Amino acid sequence: MKRKRSPLTNRFKYIRPIERQADGHSETTYGDRAWEDAYRRRWQHDKVVRSTHGVNCTGSCSWNIYVKNGIVTWEGQQLDYPSTGPDMPDFEPRGCPRGASFSWYMYSPLRVKYPYIRGILLDMWREALSHHPNNPLEAWKSIVEDREKAKRYKQARGKGGFVRVSWDEALTLVAASLLYTVVKYGPDRNVGFSPIPAMSMVSHAAGARFMQLMGGPILSFYDWYADLPPASPQIWGDQTDVPESSDWYNAGYIITWGSNVPLTRTPDAHFLAEVRYRGTKVVSVSPDYAESTKFADDWLSVKQGTDGALAMAMGHVILNEYYVKRTVPYFEQYAKTYTDFPFVVTLKQDGGAWTAGRFLLAKDLGKQTGNAEWKPVIYDENTGTFAVPNGTIGTRWEDKGKWNLRLVDEETEQPLEPRLSFLGSEDAVMSIKLPYFTAEGGKTIERAVPVKKVHTEAGDVYVTTVYDLILANYGIDRGIGGVVARSYDDEVPFTPAWQEAITGVDRELVVKIAREFADNAIDTNGRSMIIVGAGINHWFHSDTIYRAVLNLVLFVGAQGVNGGGWAHYVGQEKLRPAEGWQTIALARDWVGPAKLQNGTSFFYFATDQWRYEERPIDELVSPLAKKARYSHPGDYNVLAARLGWLPSYPTFNKNGIELYNEAVSHGARTPEEIGAYVAKQLKKKELQFAIEDPDNEANFPRNLIVWRANLISSSGKGHEYFLKHLLGTTNGLLNDDRNSLRPEEIRWRDEAPEGKLDLLVNLDFRMAGTALYSDVVLPAATWYEKHDLSSTDMHPFIHPFNPAVPPLWEARSDWDIFKSLAKAVSDVAKQAGLKPIKEVVATPLLHDTAQELAQPFGEVKDWSKGETEPIPGKTMPNIHVIERDYTLLYDQMTALGTNVARQPIGTKGIAWTAKEEYEQLKRRLGTVPRASIADGCPDISEAKKAVEAILTLSSTTNGKMAVKAWEALEKKTNLELADLAKEREEECFTFEQITAQPKTVITSPAFSGSEKGGRRYSPFTTNVERLIPWRTLTGRQSFYIDHELMREFGEAMATFKPVLPHRPFSNKRPTKNGKEVVLNYLTPHNKWSVHSMYFDSLPMLTLFRGGPTVWMNKDDAAEAGIADNDWIECFNENGVVVARAVVSHRLPRGMAFMHHAQDRHINVPGTKLTNNRGGTHNSPTRIHVKPTHMIGGYAQLSYGFNYYGPTGNQRDLFVVIRKLEEVDWLEDESASWHGHELG
Amino acid sequence: MARQFLWVIVPYLALVLFIAGHIWRYQRDQFGWTSKSSELLEKRQLRLGSLLFHWGILFVFVGHVMGILIPEPFYTALGVTEEMYHVIALAGGIPAGLAAFGGFVILFRRRLTVKRVRATSSTGDWVALGFLLAVIASGLSSTFLNIDSHGFDYRTTIGPWFRGLLTFRPNPAYMETVPLWFQIHILAAFGLFAVWPFTRLVHVFSFPLRYLQRSYVVYRKRMPKQAEPVNHAK
Repeated sequence: MKRKRSPLTNRFKYIRPIERQADGHSETTYGDRAWEDAYRRRWQHDKVVRSTHGVNCTGSCSWNIYVKNGIVTWEGQQLDYPSTGPDMPDFEPRGCPRGASFSWYMYSPLRVKYPYIRGILLDMWREALSHHPNNPLEAWKSIVEDREKAKRYKQARGKGGFVRVSWDEALTLVAASLLYTVVKYGPDRNVGFSPIPAMSMVSHAAGARFMQLMGGPILSFYDWYADLPPASPQIWGDQTDVPESSDWYNAGYIITWGSNVPLTRTPDAHFLAEVRYRGTKVVSVSPDYAESTKFADDWLSVKQGTDGALAMAMGHVILNEYYVKRTVPYFEQYAKTYTDFPFVVTLKQDGGAWTAGRFLLAKDLGKQTGNAEWKPVIYDENTGTFAVPNGTIGTRWEDKGKWNLRLVDEETEQPLEPRLSFLGSEDAVMSIKLPYFTAEGGKTIERAVPVKKVHTEAGDVYVTTVYDLILANYGIDRGIGGVVARSYDDEVPFTPAWQEAITGVDRELVVKIAREFADNAIDTNGRSMIIVGAGINHWFHSDTIYRAVLNLVLFVGAQGVNGGGWAHYVGQEKLRPAEGWQTIALARDWVGPAKLQNGTSFFYFATDQWRYEERPIDELVSPLAKKARYSHPGDYNVLAARLGWLPSYPTFNKNGIELYNEAVSHGARTPEEIGAYVAKQLKKKELQFAIEDPDNEANFPRNLIVWRANLISSSGKGHEYFLKHLLGTTNGLLNDDRNSLRPEEIRWRDEAPEGKLDLLVNLDFRMAGTALYSDVVLPAATWYEKHDLSSTDMHPFIHPFNPAVPPLWEARSDWDIFKSLAKAVSDVAKQAGLKPIKEVVATPLLHDTAQELAQPFGEVKDWSKGETEPIPGKTMPNIHVIERDYTLLYDQMTALGTNVARQPIGTKGIAWTAKEEYEQLKRRLGTVPRASIADGCPDISEAKKAVEAILTLSSTTNGKMAVKAWEALEKKTNLELADLAKEREEECFTFEQITAQPKTVITSPAFSGSEKGGRRYSPFTTNVERLIPWRTLTGRQSFYIDHELMREFGEAMATFKPVLPHRPFSNKRPTKNGKEVVLNYLTPHNKWSVHSMYFDSLPMLTLFRGGPTVWMNKDDAAEAGIADNDWIECFNENGVVVARAVVSHRLPRGMAFMHHAQDRHINVPGTKLTNNRGGTHNSPTRIHVKPTHMIGGYAQLSYGFNYYGPTGNQRDLFVVIRKLEEVDWLEDESASWHGHELG
Repeated sequence: MARQFLWVIVPYLALVLFIAGHIWRYQRDQFGWTSKSSELLEKRQLRLGSLLFHWGILFVFVGHVMGILIPEPFYTALGVTEEMYHVIALAGGIPAGLAAFGGFVILFRRRLTVKRVRATSSTGDWVALGFLLAVIASGLSSTFLNIDSHGFDYRTTIGPWFRGLLTFRPNPAYMETVPLWFQIHILAAFGLFAVWPFTRLVHVFSFPLRYLQRSYVVYRKRMPKQAEPVNHAK
C-alpha cells in the first residue's frame, strides 16, 4: 500500500504555483487533494437496498437505504418510478422529512432491543412455574385467577419495571395465557389488533393469520380510527375507492375540503401544485388558514363541523340552476344511468302527515321475478309503466346475467327510458313532511312532491321519485307549493342564506363556487373533483357531511370520470394484492370463516365507555320518529349483534367450545342443527350475547396482542377509560358513571370492572405508549430489517421492503415473531395434552354475499321481541362449527394450506379457482417435507415466501388471475370485461421484479378503476364505462337510503346535522381558579409526525418546539391569560392533557388544535388535576357511537370488515383550557405526587 | 536549581511541545484543525467579544515584539529615551490589554452562560480559556503595577533572557530580579504554548495570509506520482 503523503509537506508543495494563467488571474498548484476522498467516501456504500416505510400514512414511497460498515447511514428517495406518460408530471420524487429521518430510530434510545416482561409479573410467573413444573396452563391460572395477584401486576402497568427476558420465556408465558383463555373462557377472548395492512401487509398477515388459527378475532381499524367514511358504503356499496394522486392532474376544478394535502399527503402534493399551472382552479374549504389553503384561489372559511350546511347550500344552487331552471343533457343522462334518481319511493302516512317511505319494489307490484323483495323499480317513459331495470341487487344474486347497468327491462329486455320526475305526469301534488336539524333540535318542514298513485298488493300507495324527493329536500322552488326558497336569500333550508348563519361563509361566494363547480363539469364532462379528508370526516355526523358533499360530484356527473369525483384521503389504503393477502392473513388456506370484529364496538364495551353515556339518542333522531327505539347507543349495538348486523366477539356468555359440546349432548349433529340449537337457546334466554353483560368477567377480552400499532395513546380514543377499565392501572379519568344513562338491553353492574385484560402483548421496535403499558414487549424488526410489501391508493405500484441489515439486537420480523409464537403455542398445547376442539362461531350477515338480502324492506325485526323467529343467517348471525388442533398450529402457520386449491378464491362477490397457481407455488417455494398436516404444502415459513404467494394469488399482480377474475365477473354481469387485463395476462409479479423497479398493478375487478394502457387510476370508471353495477340496492349510486333506522334518524337523504352539543363537564368539575376558556377540541394530523411515529424522534422534535403543543387563536388565548409557549392544561371529564400553547391568528376562535398522537413519553409534566403526568392527546377524548352505522343485513348496509360499522369519532368534544400553575416534571421523589407513571 | 528548571527547562519543554505538537496535530487531525466557530449558536455577544479580543491581542502581540524581541540599544540608537519608550508602551499597551481583557471577559461569560455554547464546549476549550485568563490577567496586572518606569525595566532583564532562549544561550540569572507578577505571566504564557497545539488556538496558523498574494482562481493538479487512485483509508 502506498504511503499517504504528509499533509504538512503538501502544504508547502502548493505555496508556489506550478504555473499561472490569464495574467495571473488563475494558477495551478500541486495542492493536496486527499481531502476529496472524504467527500467521495461519503457517497460510497457497502450496499444500497430498496425498502420503504411501513408507517400508517400509506404514502408508500420507495427509498434507497444506504449501509456502511454494517450501519444504516441514511435513506434517499428512489427516482425510478415508471413514467405517468408524456403529458403529465411523474410520481417521483416521493417522500417527506418524516420518512427521510427514519433510520434514526434504528439506533435510538427508544429502540426495543430485547424481549421484556414487567418484573412483578415475571417474578409471579417464575414462582408459579416452580410450583407447577411442566404445566404452564396451571401456572398461569394460579396468577390470573388469584384476584390479589392479578390486581398487583395489572396496577403496575405503565409504571416501568421491565426486565429483559429470553425469547423462550416470553413466548411461553404468552402461549400459556392464550391457551388457558381458550380452554377456560373461549378462543374469542383472545384478540389481535393491527391496522392498515397495506402499509406492511406481510407483517399484518403474520399476526392476523396467527389469530385466525388460534380462533381469536382481529379488530378493524378504519372505522375505529374514524377514517372510514360511512357515506361511501351508503352511497356506493364500496368501502372507499379513490383516485391515485396523479389523477388530480386530470382535474379541471378542485375543491380541497377538510383535507390538508401538503401536510398529510406530502409526497403527492406536487400534483396539486402542478395542475394549477394547467389552469385548474383550486378552492379551499377549511376553518383555519391551512397549508392547503395556500394552494387555493378561493378560501371558504367554514365554521368547524358545519361543512354539511355549506354543501347542502351548494347542492341547492346546482339543483336549482342545472336541473330545474335549465337542464344539462350530460347531467341528466348521468343521473338516469348511474344514480338512483329515477327510482320510485313510496310515501307513507303517519298520523295525518305524509312522509317518505321505502322504495317501491317488484314485489309490491306483484311481478313474478326472483328476489322480488330486492328489486326497486323505475318509471319507464317508453311504456308508461313501472319497470325493474337490470342491475338491482336482486339480479346480483340471481346469477342470470342481468346484473349490469344496461337500461333495459329486466324481464322483457326492452330498452327503458327512466323518468326522473313525475312533475308533468303526476296524479297529484302532495305535501310531505321532511326533517331538518338545527342546533336547537330537529324540526320538520312541509314540502310538495308530484306523486303517482299505484296499485300494489297492499292496496293503493302514493309514490314519487328519488329525484322529486331530493328537490323537495333541498328546498327547490318548482312552483308546486311547500315551504321552499323563492330566492337564495330566503332563510329556509338549504339555501345559501340559510347556511351563512350557520357556517359563516358568504352566500355570494357559495353561489359562485357552486356554479363554477358545475360549469366546469359541463365543459369537461365531469372533471370536477373534491378532495375530502379528516377535517370533515372525524365528526359524529361525518356521514351526513360526506353525503352532502358527495352529492355535489354526483349531481354534476363527476364520479367515475378521470380527474373528477371524490378523493378521500384519510386513513385510506389500497391493499392491491387483495386475494392473496386475504388468503394468508385470514388463514383461509386452513380454516374459515374468519373472526373479524369491528373495532369501535369492541373498544366501546371493553373500555366501558358505554357506562358514561349522558345524551339520550332521542335528541338525535328525526322529529318525525318522535322517540328513538332506544335511549342508550349501546342498546343499538346489542340489537345489531342480535340481528347479525355487526360482528360481536367475544360472542356469547359461554365458551364456544362448551356451547358446541352442549349442543352435541342435546343431539345436534350437523352445523344446521347446531345453529338451530343456538337459536333456540338464545330465544329462551338460556344463552346470551356477551355484550348484553360486558362487565361480567366471563365476557372480558383476556389477551390483546397489538402489533404495528400504538393503541394505548395514539389511537386509543378515551385513553383514560382504557387505563381504568381495560388495563386497571392509575388513570386520570375525571368522570363517574353514577348519573349516566342506563341501558335497557345491557346488564348494569354497579361496580365497574378494572383491569379486564389479563395480558397486553406488544410487538414494536419503539418503546412508545403501548409498549410502556404492555405486560410483554417483543422487539420487532424495523422497516429496514425485513421482507414485506407495501401498496397504497396514492399510486399504482407495489413496493417491497428489503432488509438492509439483519434485525438488530434480538429483534425479529413480525412474521418470525408470530411463527415462533405459533411454535410456543404448539409446544405448550402438546405439553398440556390439548386434544382437537370444535367451537361454535357466529359471523354477521356479510356484504358481497347473498346474505345482504337477509332482511328485506329495510325493516327491523327483532326476534328477541317476538317480531320474528331467530334463524341463523337470516334474522340473526350465521352459526358455524370450526375444528382446531392447537398442537398443529405451527405446521399450519408455516405452510400454505390445501384449501387454496380446493376452494374458490375471490373478492367482492365473485369467485374463481387458483388451483394452477397453488401447484405453481409448490414448485417455486418448495414444499413442506415433514410428515404433518402440512405435508406437501407450499412452504411459507419465511416472510419472503409469503410475499411470493401473495403476489401469485392476487389478480392485481398476476395477469392470469386478473383474467380469471374478469371472466368470473363477465359471467355475473353478462358484459365483456376481460380485455381490461388481457394485454397483461402473461405477467406475474415476483419480489425480485418489484425490487428491481416499481411495476404498475394489473387492472382487476378487486377495484373499480382501470389502469389499462397506462391510464391513471380513478374509481368507478369501470362502472361508468363498462356498466358494472355498484354493489348497492339499486345497483346505482345512492341518494336515497330507505332503511327504517336511516329514516328514524332523518338520514334517508343527505342533510345537515349540527355538532353534538357537548359540555366539558356534565357533573362536578374541578374548582375554577383564574381565567380559562372553553374550546372545541380537535386532533388533526401532525406535520412533523405520522400519528405517534416520528413525534418522538430527535430530528423531527427539533423542527417545532420539541414537545406537546396545543394551537389556539390569539384572542381565545388572551381571554384565558395565556401567552405563546405557556404551559397549559386542557381538560374535560374524560381527562387532562398538558402541553405548551401555540398562540396564532391562523386558527379561528372557538377551536383548539392538539395535533394527533403526541405521545406521553416526550416532555409531559404533571398536573394537579390528576396528580399524575398530563396524559396524551387522547386523554380528553372519548367516542360516541352512531346507531345508523350499525345497520346490517340490508344490501350495501350489510357488514364488511373495515367497511361498515360505527366510527370511533372524537371531534364533537369541548375542553377547558387554562394556564398550568406550576410546571412539575415529577422527578422529585419526595414530592406529594403519587402514582407516577414512567417516572 | 529551581531557577534553572523554571527559566530554562520549562520554557524549552513548552516550546518543544508547541512546535512538535503543531506538526503532530496538523499531520493527524486535518479535519479537526479549526477555530470551532460557535457563531451559529450565538451571534450578538460573539461579535463584540471576538472583535475586542482579537484586535486587542494583536496589538498586545506587537507590543511584546517591541518590548522583548527588539533589544533596548536599538531604541537608544534611534534616540528613543526610556521615558519616551514607556509612554509609548503604556499608551499603546494598556488600551490593547484592556480591549483583549474586556473581549475575553465577554467571550468567557458567553461560554459559561449561553446554554448552547456551553453544551458544545470541549475540555480543550476550557483549558485554553483558563490559560488565556491567567496570561492576560497576570500580564495586565504586571503592566499596571509597573506604570512607574523607575521601578523595573523588563527590557534589560526579561528581554535578554528571552532572546537568550531563542539563541540557545539561556541565562536564568536575568530573571533574578523580575517581580512575581511578571514571573507568573511568563510561566502562564509557556503553559499556554504547551497546550496550544491541542486546542482550537491552532487556528492562529490558518490565518489566510496567502489570500493577499494568490490568484483569484486556483487549480489543483495531481502530482505525477499521485496520479493513481489514492482512494484508501489511512
